[in-house]
Amino acid sequence: MKKRGKGIACIFYGTGYGNGFPDVSRAYARLLKDGKVEISVGATEVGQGAKTVMVQIAAETLGLSDKDIVLINEDTSKTPDAGTAAASRQTYNTGNAVKIACENLREKILDEAVKLLGVNTKVGLHIKDGLIHVKSYPSRNVSLKEIAENNKELKAEGIFTAQTTQMDENGQGAPYWPYTFASCAVEVEVDTETGEVKILRAKHVLDVGRAVNPTLVEGQIDGGFAMGVGYALMEDIGLKEGRMTNGSFEKSIIPTSLDIPEIEKVLIEYP
Amino acid sequence: MEAIKPKSLEEVLEYKYKYKNDAKIIAGGTDLIIKIRKGEENPKVILDISTIQELKGIRETLEYIDIGSATTFTKISECILLNKNLKGLKDAAKSVGSPQIRNRGTVGGNICNASPAADTVPPLLALDSILVLERKGRKREVYLKDFFKDKGRVDLGEDEILTRIKFKNLLKNQGLGFYKLGLRRALAISRLSFAVFLEIDEMNRIEIIRIASGAIGRFPMREYELEEYLTGRIINEDTLKEAESLLERIIFERLKGRQTAKFKSIAAKGVFKKALLNALYLCKGVNEFEKN
Repeated sequence: MKKRGKGIACIFYGTGYGNGFPDVSRAYARLLKDGKVEISVGATEVGQGAKTVMVQIAAETLGLSDKDIVLINEDTSKTPDAGTAAASRQTYNTGNAVKIACENLREKILDEAVKLLGVNTKVGLHIKDGLIHVKSYPSRNVSLKEIAENNKELKAEGIFTAQTTQMDENGQGAPYWPYTFASCAVEVEVDTETGEVKILRAKHVLDVGRAVNPTLVEGQIDGGFAMGVGYALMEDIGLKEGRMTNGSFEKSIIPTSLDIPEIEKVLIEYP
Repeated sequence: MEAIKPKSLEEVLEYKYKYKNDAKIIAGGTDLIIKIRKGEENPKVILDISTIQELKGIRETLEYIDIGSATTFTKISECILLNKNLKGLKDAAKSVGSPQIRNRGTVGGNICNASPAADTVPPLLALDSILVLERKGRKREVYLKDFFKDKGRVDLGEDEILTRIKFKNLLKNQGLGFYKLGLRRALAISRLSFAVFLEIDEMNRIEIIRIASGAIGRFPMREYELEEYLTGRIINEDTLKEAESLLERIIFERLKGRQTAKFKSIAAKGVFKKALLNALYLCKGVNEFEKN
């Protein structure tokens, strides 16, 4: 016989290290001689999309297209420390460091533009498609390439320190600043004759703040869901007197794509 | 370790005669390579038969279907010669590992490694397959059901190799059903499987039934007691219930003392029933039995 059941669960999850632990990300932004901007950041791509997101944030902050951003990451001999790719912190923490670095670089670029355009203030200057315009007089412009030729040393740093406080001795307090709120509902069918469990459908709703890249967020939901299915239904290292009996992926089972249903995803972007 | 790639079956048999047990046959390598890496096997010579045409492919000769031992699971699951009444064999071939493993792994390896969980063996047992075994200058045939001697041990001489597997093609009122219970839907080693060959008359009376199980013994085996009980009976709910409780007793007895005895003896009922119903629907000409 087949029996069906439904379940729903809600969680909230703190982003970053939390509990007063130093949580600092650093990034460098540098104007290259061809007018492109190089971002150096230690952030590690582990499949979450850091490489895509850092480029997106830099491009948007500087008014450039993603093709004009050159990303150097992961290489610890060349890039500043951006902390671990853990605790769901790279997009928020390191993304902010990239944003700050780009804002600082932007100010330096505009300072140079003021000189080259012969205007009296940065106010009213605007970067779009690699050109700096006087907003009210668009034909008065100078390109980033010209600025780079004029000044080869334009670079800036961005440091972002996440807000986090230590909990008291009773484990009370507000250890994190940003939180993600999420809920998940599933419908499951159990074959009572064979013990087989099949997830018929699933729905996820996440309050993610601003989804910098919604497709990547959905990809993270797919992956997170599959991991949850593994924990709930399959994974077992089979500890016996301190030894693993399921010590290889032959025996330690995690779900394949065939075990995962289509997941309906809703992103709440607030504010 | 020396690797030899013979150009013909004759050459393979020549080398096997020369090296005997020092030579290990490799076709897909999906089991052997892992054993070599783990240090469980360290043969002096490996004989690669993966490109020997005489050992590959599926053909129909008179009333027999004849499968070369180096035929891959992918080829079996896609073969148009295997008609829809043989769906159970294709289902079993499709349930092996992943597409990559199915593209490499062969039915001959599945049989000769004699794993209790070998996926294509229960359907081949239910088909009452005959194995063709060859050595230099000699050929013999043995029933698959008599081939397994113990876990991992088969009736194969030191200079002998398995060349072909054959069974009688199915008639319209016959069907082969298969069902496998794994820990997940793909890339899963069988925890329990059943294959059922069935021939019925218009009244749903069982004329012939052959039942084979996987992963509940030292090797895949026929369930003669259950076959005997079911032969001549009309398939209905009462028959099924009786058969299931008989099966539960048989399996519990066989696995007595093992941790899995209780689970497997209960789950075997459900898995057997699904394989039987799959076979029944094929006999009745119903196109697709909704498995889930």
